[in-house]
Order: sequence, then structure tokens, then C-alpha cells
Amino acid sequence: MKYNLIAASLIFSTSVLAEDNFLSSVKTFTMNDYEVVWLQDKKFPAFNASIYFNDGALRDAVSGLTQVTFDQLSSGTSKETEKQIAEFFDFYGASINHSVTHEYSVFNIKGLTKDITPVVGKVCELFNDATYPKFELDSYVARKKSNLKNMVTSHSQLADRIFRKLSLAGTPFGTDTDGTLISLDKISSSALKERLTGLSKARKVIFLSGPSEAKEVVDVISKKCQWTQETELAANKVNKPQEQSAIYLVPVPGANQAQIRIGRYLTKQEVEGKDDQFQFLSGFLGGGFTSKLIQELRVKRGLTYSAGAYVSMQRDYGRAGVVTFSKSETASEVVSLVRNILSDMENPAKISEEEFKHQQNHQIGGHAFEFEKNAALLARMINYRHQNKDFSLMLAFPDKVKAMTPQALSHSTSEVYPWERMTVVIVGDKSLVQSLSKVRPVKIIDYKDYL
Amino acid sequence: MKYLLMLPLMFGLSCSSLKTNQTGLSSINLSVKEVKLDNGMTALIVPDHKLPIFSLYIFYKVGGKNEVPGITGASHFLEHMMFKGAKKFGKNTIDFIIEGSGGSTNAYTTADQTVYYENLPTPQLEQMLEIEADRMENLLLDKDDFEKERAVVLEERKMRYENSPRGQLYLGLMNHLFEGTPYGRSVIGDIPDLKSVTREQIYDYFKKFYAPNNAVIVIAGDVDSADAAKYVKKYFGGIKSSPGVSEAHASLKESDFVPALKKDKVVKLKGESPNPIFMMGYPTYKAGDVRGYPLDILSSIIGAGKSSSLVNDYILTKKPVATSIYAAHQSLDMSGFFFVGGELVQGVSLDNFKEDLKKKLVSYCETEITEKNIQKVKNNYQTDLYESLDTNAGMARFLGDRQLVFGDWKTYKEELEQYEKVTVNDVKQACLELSKIPSVFISVWNQHK
Repeated sequence: MKYNLIAASLIFSTSVLAEDNFLSSVKTFTMNDYEVVWLQDKKFPAFNASIYFNDGALRDAVSGLTQVTFDQLSSGTSKETEKQIAEFFDFYGASINHSVTHEYSVFNIKGLTKDITPVVGKVCELFNDATYPKFELDSYVARKKSNLKNMVTSHSQLADRIFRKLSLAGTPFGTDTDGTLISLDKISSSALKERLTGLSKARKVIFLSGPSEAKEVVDVISKKCQWTQETELAANKVNKPQEQSAIYLVPVPGANQAQIRIGRYLTKQEVEGKDDQFQFLSGFLGGGFTSKLIQELRVKRGLTYSAGAYVSMQRDYGRAGVVTFSKSETASEVVSLVRNILSDMENPAKISEEEFKHQQNHQIGGHAFEFEKNAALLARMINYRHQNKDFSLMLAFPDKVKAMTPQALSHSTSEVYPWERMTVVIVGDKSLVQSLSKVRPVKIIDYKDYL
Repeated sequence: MKYLLMLPLMFGLSCSSLKTNQTGLSSINLSVKEVKLDNGMTALIVPDHKLPIFSLYIFYKVGGKNEVPGITGASHFLEHMMFKGAKKFGKNTIDFIIEGSGGSTNAYTTADQTVYYENLPTPQLEQMLEIEADRMENLLLDKDDFEKERAVVLEERKMRYENSPRGQLYLGLMNHLFEGTPYGRSVIGDIPDLKSVTREQIYDYFKKFYAPNNAVIVIAGDVDSADAAKYVKKYFGGIKSSPGVSEAHASLKESDFVPALKKDKVVKLKGESPNPIFMMGYPTYKAGDVRGYPLDILSSIIGAGKSSSLVNDYILTKKPVATSIYAAHQSLDMSGFFFVGGELVQGVSLDNFKEDLKKKLVSYCETEITEKNIQKVKNNYQTDLYESLDTNAGMARFLGDRQLVFGDWKTYKEELEQYEKVTVNDVKQACLELSKIPSVFISVWNQHK
């Protein structure tokens, strides 16, 4: 399937140098039947290649299957052992890694341009001939399960995991992409090989950065990787927003702080076409030291060290959240304050012109930084491509922000953060139940049920 | 630091004034404009016009090692207060000015240095230098803000150490490995000191160490060298140097940083980790000591990457002993340490593991130090170097670190040449010597008493 991005990417609404550079450095074309997006950069004789697979964890028959398929891709082929494969990439100073979301997956290769042929060729060997030996798989599962059991030591990580699961409960996106203690035991070598075959058939887009030699990546893939592009991952929408009435308290041993997560999932209808408004909202609320949450929680009251907010969007759903922590004694105060801040923001009269203008300037002025680091820029472009959004939209943000109003910001707040729909998760000491009950009814849950 | 404490970087570079080819590490050539002011300040300017942005880093040669018992954490507390305002721009305005133009700012404190940085759109250069000069000369240190920030710092300490088994482990290693030396103290500070330190003590500390003759500025990005130099002179040229700073640095003798470790030490800390986590550390050499380069390479051979010796022996086995394992060599201004660390799977005996690890480290001196492995490490250093040089901030960190530690940013050439020169024999020798010196083995586990 062909996608003509060239014409679309010629439409730009601003003329800042960052954007001019972006415009001239991005080339999109079809090469050997692959859609290719190349970010030209002559600075170093090195390349990044990110291969987008239109396939992800939504296809998992067992939770974690796609993730493990990539994790164990280099665990052995019919010709080489895991150690030999690791030795190969390390010797070239090359690295491979991957990311798996429910909707798509990305395989990244990084190395020196002079080594493209052997390095990318080796990647193809892995995709063509990975055997997923049982010995290595057992070892991997043992380590992975051990890591999961030890997650209780990282309260922040635990809070993220449980919050994600609870806030997406009842949707196809609530499964753990990296598996669970139970699901990992169900993953076999044959299931992994089958999953890899599925991935090999998925539609792909090759994203590159580097000098012109980087395009050799496509040649090697075309010649060596036995890939086809037959399948597309069908849309999987969530239509009904969830109601929430409780705070989930997750007691953990030895906690003298409380990790706080507040947020919800957004349906496709709720997020569609509103990227810029929601990006502005998350920046206003929790992006930077002068954001609303940091000013109210840390600067004015000294209640926390950090606080942030996000609104993230996939193709078929979105997520919004507030992330912070506090000492145990003030956890309920922080939750109440967040609720009040969100409630105040729903009223445009409570957003001062000064703070609104400040955020406009902050987000417009900071736009150029999104184009500085190639790897991050490629990741963002992949997300845009996945959502079938034109790259030109990346450049339109400053103009969109200029046109925003406090009324629109308030409206976005009430759309994204209605308190009655918010999932609230607190990881901390069990004694918090009393103070939190004054904010909302509390349900105590066992973290072990979420590993 | 304002948001996080960082270890010094082994590498960090970036720039359009950078020339390279594919022949190896030492092929990198940087073009930097150097400005020296009469008051002792050095500014380094590296233009890169890829985007209309720049990074400004200001390095102060002060950190945990300059503190004395009673005011531990002063460097880091002061770092927080530096964002609270100065005379010319007023109280609590710095963040608003920087973020209001689209920029971002942060800072970090280590045992050896305190670093402030900003990433900003090009037109903000002059104002940012004016702000940095203002707070270098006339910090407010408002009493109310001081007390409010004390609570934030205490909360940060809890987050980093009391609530983090890994933080507990690292702090424990430094406490025991460098016991009795300034590196044995906590950079974020001991709780009693954080509760009792006064505004006046922090102000005195500020006046002694925050001065142009104790600072290095690096500006990398879309700037005109001549303009940048002009602004640096305009805003910093009139600031007086600190008479006490040379004396303060001279009072720190290298011998005061030598660990008194005479025999192996085993430390068991109770913490909330169901899996035992551990670090084993050996005292080594200060930054720039040529004996450190083979140790860097040794640490990479045995403990960096999936093909490293430790990963092969303890993770990629049928019954894995560890879920993670790594080795590194950390050079500090006055000393250094080599360490192995990781997390064991449940059911593995810590004592047996420790003995096995020590035997393996000795055997590695014979089996793992090969031409191929050394070349592999050099290849990896090259790709790591390119990656760290990819941003203005990376370039500024790279140059600033070297200027501050060695007094000359150009020493990077010697560093890279030293890595190129390292031989199999050098690494073997370093490995054997390391295996003969006493170490600290520290673990954190919820089963410890």
C-alpha cells in the first residue's frame, strides 16, 4: 500500500527556522515497495532506523506475547546462539531495541553507517530464523517474573502499572503489554514463532535518520528480510466512558510517601481532532516548573517534589492523567487539591490572563526543541504516521496555540478531567485509608493481583 | 539538584563545530571559542545553527565534598534556593522568565560540582546571561522560601533514599567505601543537618563558592560567538572573584580522600526489596589518572551490554542467578571507584554469590581481556560518543565537565587518545591489581535483620 505523504508535508503554516529545517530535511518516498521516511542528518557517520509494524499487543492471545516475541528475537536462530548474536551487535557498537503498544510495534536499529550491511542483515536473519529456544525462554521468564515480584520496591512504577490497568479496565487496552506472572508461564516457543510470522506479514513503514548512506537500510531489508505487507491491525474502539466513584488504595510495606495517580481513558470520539487543545492543556496543567500543578502543590505549599500531567493519544483511544506524590500525611490533601485545581480550571474566569499568556509563550517558544533529537523526533513521527496524521500538523502547533483562549482551555479541562470519571490510585501506607475516605470511598486492593 | 541528582558523565558531547571521520575515537575535533575574564571566569562558546535554540550550562566547582559535618547537603539545598530569585529580577521570577519564553531549566548537584542549565530559544541569550550573573552575585535567599524549600528537600531525600532500595544501596556503598572521607557523606545531606542548617550558613557557603573564579559557562547552539562573548563580559565581567575559594580548594588534600579500607567489608542493610540487590565496590583513581582508562575498558568488557562477561555468566544461563548485573568505573575529582552491581533472583544465596563473583572477577583477568573485546568496547564508545554529542546540551556538558575538572576543555583529545592506546596487557594488569585490593560488598534485602 502506498501513502503519499510528500504532498501533505508541503503544507506548512509557519516559517520558523526549526520548521523550515524540518521541512527540508524530511524526505518521504516509496522504495522497493516500502514506505520510507528519511530524516536527513549529516552530522555523524551513524544511522537510526525505526521499523514500524502495524501490529501490536491487541493481537496477543496471551498477555505479553508480542512483547516477548520481540524481547526474545535475539535469543537464538538455527545457526547462532543468543551469546553469539549479542556478541555480534556489541562488536559493531550497534544496538537493537523495540517498543510494543497495543496498536503498533517499533523495532529500532542504531549503528555506524559503514556497518549497515552486516548489522541490518543480521536483524533480517533474526526475523527470518528466530527459533526461540526453550532454554533461553525459560531463563527469560524466570528473570521477568523475578523483576515483577520485585516491583513492590519501586512504588512509582507499581502505581503506573496498577493505574493503567484500573483506568483501562473493560477496554481492549487494559491488558499488560509486557505480561503478568501468570501469562508469562503460558508463552511457548511455538507461540512466539507463530507470532513472529504474523509480525512479518504486517504492514511496515521504515523511518530513518542519518546521512544518505542510511537509505542502504531499505536495500538490505528488501534483499534479506522475508517480509510481506499483507495485514493491517483493525481499529478497536472504546466508545463508552467509565464512571469511577472510589479511590483505590494499594498498601505497600515501608512506605513513608504516597504515589498518586489520577486520570482516565478517553474514547476516540473524545480525542479526535483535539490534539493541540489537549497538548496545550497538559502543558498548562503539568508541563514545567511554572505549570499549575507545580505552582500550587510545590511552590505555594511545599507538598511535593514533582507533579506532572499528560494527555496522550493513540489511534483509537487516549489517556489523560496527573502524576505526583507526597508524604503520607498530606496525600489526601494533595488529592483534594488536584480535584479543586481541575474544578477551578473548568471556569475560565479563574484562569488569569497572565498565566494563560505565559503558557502560550512557553509552549510556542519551546516548540523548536521537539525537533532537536533525531531519535525522539522519529518516535513522534511514527506516532503521527500510525494515526494517519499528516506531519505538517507537527508544525501547526504554534499557530494553534496562538489562537487558543481561556474559554477553550476550560472547555478542554471539563472534557478531559471530569472528576466523577477519574480513576484515583494511591500506592502507600495502609493507614491512608482514613484520611482518603474523606475525599472519596476507598477500595483497598492487593498489589500482587496486578503483577 | 532541583529535580534529580546525577552521576558525572563519562561522556557527553555535541555540535556543528564538530569534525569527524570513521577512523576512531580520537578523530573527533571540536572548534570552541574560549573567553577568559579578568576575574577568573572561563566561557566556552560552540555555535551550532541547526535550530534556533541554544543550551547554556554554568558549572560551579562546589559539591558534597566541600561540605563539612553539620552542613551536609548545603550544596544541594543552595541549588534549590538558586531558583528562588535574585536582586535584579526579583523573587520567584527565574522559572517564569525562562519558561515564559519557551525554555526549560534545571540543575544537578554531585559530590564535586553543581550545574545549572537552560535550554532556550535564540533571542533569550542576553537575558539568560544577565539572570545567571544576577543570581551569582546577588542571590536573595528569602527566609520564607528557605523554610518552604527545606520541606521539599527533605521530601526529595525520602524519595531518593529512604523510599528507594537502590538509593539506599548506593548511599550505603559510598558511606562504607569512602568512610571518613568527604565522599562518604550524602550529597543530598543527612536529615539532622537538613533540619538544622540555617539561612546564614547557606549564605556564607554561597558567598564563598559562587563566584566567577569558581565557575565555567558553556553556551552551545544557535549563537553568534562574538555576541555571546560580548554578553558574557558585559554581565559577568564586573563580578568580583571570591578570595576564599582557592584556599577552600587547596585545603582539600588528595590524601583526605583515600579510603581507609584495609580488608574486605560486608554490609547487610534491611530494606523493602524482596529480591536482594547488591553493589561491590573497590577504591580506584581520580579523574585524569592514566590508570583509570584500562579500568573503564575493563568495566565495559565485563559489565556493559548483553555480551558482557557478567551477563553471560549470571543472566543468560538456564537457571539465572541475577535479573540484572553491570559493572562501571566512576572517576571523581579526588578519587574513584570500580563497582559491580545488580539484582539477584529470589532464592539465590547472597554469600555464595559474593564468593563466586569474586572468583569470577579474578578469572576474567585471564579469559575475557582479548583484543576483540577491547576493540568491541572502543567501537561502543564511539557510537555512545556520537549519541551524546547529538544535542546542544550534550556538547555543553562534555566541554564544561572537562574545563571544570582539568582546567582545559581540550583534554578530551588526550582522553580519547588514551582510550585508543589501551592494550590487552594494560587491562589485564589493571584487572589483576583490582582483584588484590579490599572491597565493600553491600546488599539491601527485606530478609536482612
